[in-house]
Amino acid sequence: MSVRFIHTADWQIGMKAAGLGNAAATVREARIHSIERILRLADDQGVDFLLITGDLFEDNAVDRLLIRKVGDLLGRFSRPVYIIPGNHDPLVPGSVWEHPVWAEASNITIARSADPIELDRCVLYPCPLKEKYSTQDPTAWIDAHQTEKIAIGLAHGNVEGLPEAEPDYPIPRDAARRRGLDFLAVGHWHSHVPYPDPDGSVRLAYSGTHETSKFGERDSGNVLVVEIPGRGATPVIECVPTGALRWVSSRHAVNEEGSLEDVLREVRTIENPEAVLLRLSLSGLLFTSDRPRLSSLREIVGTRFLFGAVEDEGLIPAPDDDAWIETLPGGPLREAAVRMREQAVSGSDEQARTVAARALIELFDLKEQSGT
Amino acid sequence: MIVKRIGVTNWRGFLDPMEMGPFSERLNVIHAPNGTGKSSLFEAMRRALFDVHHVGGAEIEEIRPWGRKLSPSVFVEFSEGGNTYRVEKTFMDGASAKLFQEEEGRFQPIADGRNADTRLREILSADPPGRGLCRQEHWGLGQILWAPQGELALKQISGGVGESLRSALGMEVSGASGSRLEELVEARFLEFFTRGGAPKKGKNAAPVVAWQQKQETLEQELVDLREEHRRYEEASRQVDDARNRREQARREADALRESVAGLRKAAEEYVRLKNEQVRKKEIAEIARERFESIGRTLEEIKATRETIEGLEKSVATLSGENEQAKADVAAAKALLEKTRTAREVARRRRDLITEKQKTIDAARDYHACRDELTKLEQRLERLEEHETELGRVKKERAEMISPDPAKIRELRRRLGERAAARAALAASQVHLTLTPRKDCEIENLTDAGKHTIKGGSPTVFSGDEVVEVLIREFGSVRASGPEGGADAHRAHLEAAETRIKTLSQPFGSDDPDYLQKRREEADALDQRIAALRKQIEMVLDGDERDSMVGRRKELKATIDDFEGQHPNWRSAPPVVGLLQTEFETFSRDVNESVASAEDAFERSQSDHAAAEKRQVELNGMLKAGQGNLETAGKRLKVLVDDGLSDNDRDKKRSEALMAWQAAKAGVEAAESELNSIPGDPARELEKLEKQRQVMEEEVAHSRDQEKSAEGRLQALAARGTYSRLAACEESLAEVADRIRRESLRMEAIRLLYETVRDAKGALLARVTAPVEESASRMLARVAGPRLGRPIFTQDFVPDAINPEISAGPVNLQNLSGGEQEQLHLIARLALADLLAKDQRQLVVLDDVLNATDSGRLRRVLSLLEEISERLQIIILTCHPERYRALEGAEFFALTR
Repeated sequence: MSVRFIHTADWQIGMKAAGLGNAAATVREARIHSIERILRLADDQGVDFLLITGDLFEDNAVDRLLIRKVGDLLGRFSRPVYIIPGNHDPLVPGSVWEHPVWAEASNITIARSADPIELDRCVLYPCPLKEKYSTQDPTAWIDAHQTEKIAIGLAHGNVEGLPEAEPDYPIPRDAARRRGLDFLAVGHWHSHVPYPDPDGSVRLAYSGTHETSKFGERDSGNVLVVEIPGRGATPVIECVPTGALRWVSSRHAVNEEGSLEDVLREVRTIENPEAVLLRLSLSGLLFTSDRPRLSSLREIVGTRFLFGAVEDEGLIPAPDDDAWIETLPGGPLREAAVRMREQAVSGSDEQARTVAARALIELFDLKEQSGT
Repeated sequence: MIVKRIGVTNWRGFLDPMEMGPFSERLNVIHAPNGTGKSSLFEAMRRALFDVHHVGGAEIEEIRPWGRKLSPSVFVEFSEGGNTYRVEKTFMDGASAKLFQEEEGRFQPIADGRNADTRLREILSADPPGRGLCRQEHWGLGQILWAPQGELALKQISGGVGESLRSALGMEVSGASGSRLEELVEARFLEFFTRGGAPKKGKNAAPVVAWQQKQETLEQELVDLREEHRRYEEASRQVDDARNRREQARREADALRESVAGLRKAAEEYVRLKNEQVRKKEIAEIARERFESIGRTLEEIKATRETIEGLEKSVATLSGENEQAKADVAAAKALLEKTRTAREVARRRRDLITEKQKTIDAARDYHACRDELTKLEQRLERLEEHETELGRVKKERAEMISPDPAKIRELRRRLGERAAARAALAASQVHLTLTPRKDCEIENLTDAGKHTIKGGSPTVFSGDEVVEVLIREFGSVRASGPEGGADAHRAHLEAAETRIKTLSQPFGSDDPDYLQKRREEADALDQRIAALRKQIEMVLDGDERDSMVGRRKELKATIDDFEGQHPNWRSAPPVVGLLQTEFETFSRDVNESVASAEDAFERSQSDHAAAEKRQVELNGMLKAGQGNLETAGKRLKVLVDDGLSDNDRDKKRSEALMAWQAAKAGVEAAESELNSIPGDPARELEKLEKQRQVMEEEVAHSRDQEKSAEGRLQALAARGTYSRLAACEESLAEVADRIRRESLRMEAIRLLYETVRDAKGALLARVTAPVEESASRMLARVAGPRLGRPIFTQDFVPDAINPEISAGPVNLQNLSGGEQEQLHLIARLALADLLAKDQRQLVVLDDVLNATDSGRLRRVLSLLEEISERLQIIILTCHPERYRALEGAEFFALTR
């Protein structure tokens, strides 16, 4: 008798999205919309239930309307949902788990204690977190060796080997085997990470967040569809994308005249830009002839994308590109331009170089403006 | 430009047309006394050249002649750029402007009205004012070349004059296009900063300021939200704590309830055993009471019997002692009566002490009376003597008649008058002195008197007007004198004598010395009378004579009374000291005997009381012993009234002892059973019960706290703090990014501006160097090398000097007034010399060099002469003599 379910975690509903400007609200909203895709996926896949292994909410003090909205969404779902509180939304007084929406939804089970939940074909071993930090293994209580049904653990913490300075809720890498579990569904890490046993079978995995939450986050925006054929059988895991937004962080070093054209071209080819958050970092040399391209780049990135930022402080005027300076009237202006160009190239620190480069750009703009 | 002629009409003080010129192309001195209008002439030239003719306002009104509605007009003829022009302007009413150019020796009009104004400015390269009259900054090159009165110091140069100077030096700093771009740079800089480099504030502040304010607001909001979030988490912990506490309290309460139930059973068993123990103890106590009661009865019978025996002996002894005590009381009573009598006798002698004291007092009074009587009689005797003497002297004084001093003084005056009258009379008469050799008779025929005159004795015969005597045997002798005058003297004489007689008649003499002596004698008597009266007053000492006599009678009567009572005092007056000694001896004896008698009485009285008391006590004891004996007898009778023998009673006591011992064994058994329970569980039960109640209350209290904390938590949770916190942090990040970008842009603009400014400054410093060099040479010629090199700003304004001996530049304010004046003149001349490179320029110096000494003035004049090769110089002064040494100068005397 097999069991088929969706493992997801770290929805971080209500999370802050600093530095995204007006896109922050859209980013937050997208995390809720993705839930609907997960539920449709669950229906499509015909899973038995949904497991959410912690950090459904970013914080226990999120807006109560968000809790209501998420609770209603899950409550309308036709299949059982099992949730454990994570370190962001631990089971404490006043937590999101005291909201009445959970009691209203008959299909939702909030695991409030570390006690097995026996289902028809499997037994769930939930490990709810009741505080934000702990050095104890949340799965330590589990002993499923004697269980005849498929044993599935739900936990939230740091699997050994993750780059965490402090052992916060540490989970042994072989926790599934050690506790007698067929599969241990883990949350906390936003990227999908499977932990194969020596025989290659994966019994412990991070599903990762369902919707990417920041720039540079790898393998996120997925859920896991897990099927366990029977007690002791190897789980079959499928990583299915659910995220709607793409977070693109792109670095470009431009050192030749016209190089910005390549960047422009690349940016133009990004599909569905209204669902893309783009952070473009430029470094290298800025040639006079490239200045219009830089302006175009700024305009495209700033207007077409859900969020776009061009970090061009790393650009310095090209040392040999002094043609426009020669067109300046002789005297103090040209003298000043030469001085600033030297400072932009070989200033004492990055800030000084950046300021000098920007000053040159200002002078260039004024020159254009004056028609000199 | 150089000026050739100038003329004004209706210009301030110039009512009539005034014209001056042609001027020399080199040196000109216009001189006039103060108030003549030199500066007005200079002003008229400026207004003609730079002000539009239709200018209005209060300031232009001031150039009208005072109190008149006349329209001021001016003309100036000048050369510029190789052409000669004439401008004519009339201001205010009928304002007009005409510009002429000299062509073939005649001035031909080339523009009028506003066109004339515009054309003129073009010729002179002047900057028009926005509105109103032009000011120094609109004068073009005149800013440098023309020094108005009191404004020799060059403060600033405006417009394109600086560029003209640089052009004259052959150096272009920025050029026109560069200047425009520099202006844009500066304008961009001023969008964000003040000229001093500080970020702008207020309504014109840079956008970053608003962003920073928003950042501050958001940061404060973030702090508040974090605090709210912290309170939410704290509330969560409080709820958790409260729940834990309540759960703990509940567990403890449950445990306590179980303990209380177990302890309550033990306590009930303990109470049962305790009651059993009490009951058995009561039985044992009753048995013990019975045994001891029988024992006490037996002991009491025995003791009563012994008591009766002892009491009988005691009553007998007390009876004998009682009789003896009665006898002692009688003897003591007799002795008491005896001592009482002796005490009364002794006390009666005390009366004699009083009598003796009275005798002593009487003796003192007696002596006092006698002493007073003696003194009184002595006083009366002296009074008698003084009164007798006073009567005698009074009588003598009454018998003595003496004039008063006034009369004596009048008498003396009258005697003098009489003597004078006599002398006058004698002088007015005829006197005939006859001294016969022998006695003879002479008949005075004048008064028919006959006189016998002894020989050798001169005799005088006097008469009024004539004296005639008949000398016997000789004949008559007649002497005569002047007629009249004697009668008046005689009348005076008679009056004096009459008054003398009146005055001296009571005293029998008209000798004033005699009368004076009598007066002194009378005065001595008066003094004696006064002395006696004084003595009498002293003797009386305030008393009356009659009272003294009365007192003497009283004293004598008192003395007689004393002597009547004590007859022996008449012959032998008492000695108080002896009487006092006797009294004291007697008094001491009496008091001692009284004290002795009283002591004896008190002792006998005490003895008597003691005897009586003893007798009463013995009597009481006897009666008590008899009573006790009777009582003991009755008690014994009661004790033995049980119908038992002594042996029966002993047997009964043995039975009671056995019963008591059996009961004690029962008590010990009960105690042993009770001791098997450690302590009374009731106290522990009570303690636990209290603890249980406290714990129940704690549970309730914890529940209340939990509910309260939950309420707070729910309220805080409902606020969705984190969502607001997230939104706030997002806004803050956005604002911070905007600030970072704005700050970067501002820093870049600042760098651009400052770099351009510094570069320009360095270039300008190179531009001013030739001017400084020229001025330095001129200054050295005038003031010597001490002042060193003048330093100009980038805009050619003298700013400081750099003396040779100074480590750095020195502010011009540190120069003397004369040296400042010379330096400012030289600065203008150096710049003017520079501007005159292409064509001759007009320099106007209005009333300058007033503080320059004659030595340096001569050097300045030499400099002016030299520089006038390239400049037209017009000097306005009220001291023409100071400029007479100027070689080739034209002098113009200004008059109205």
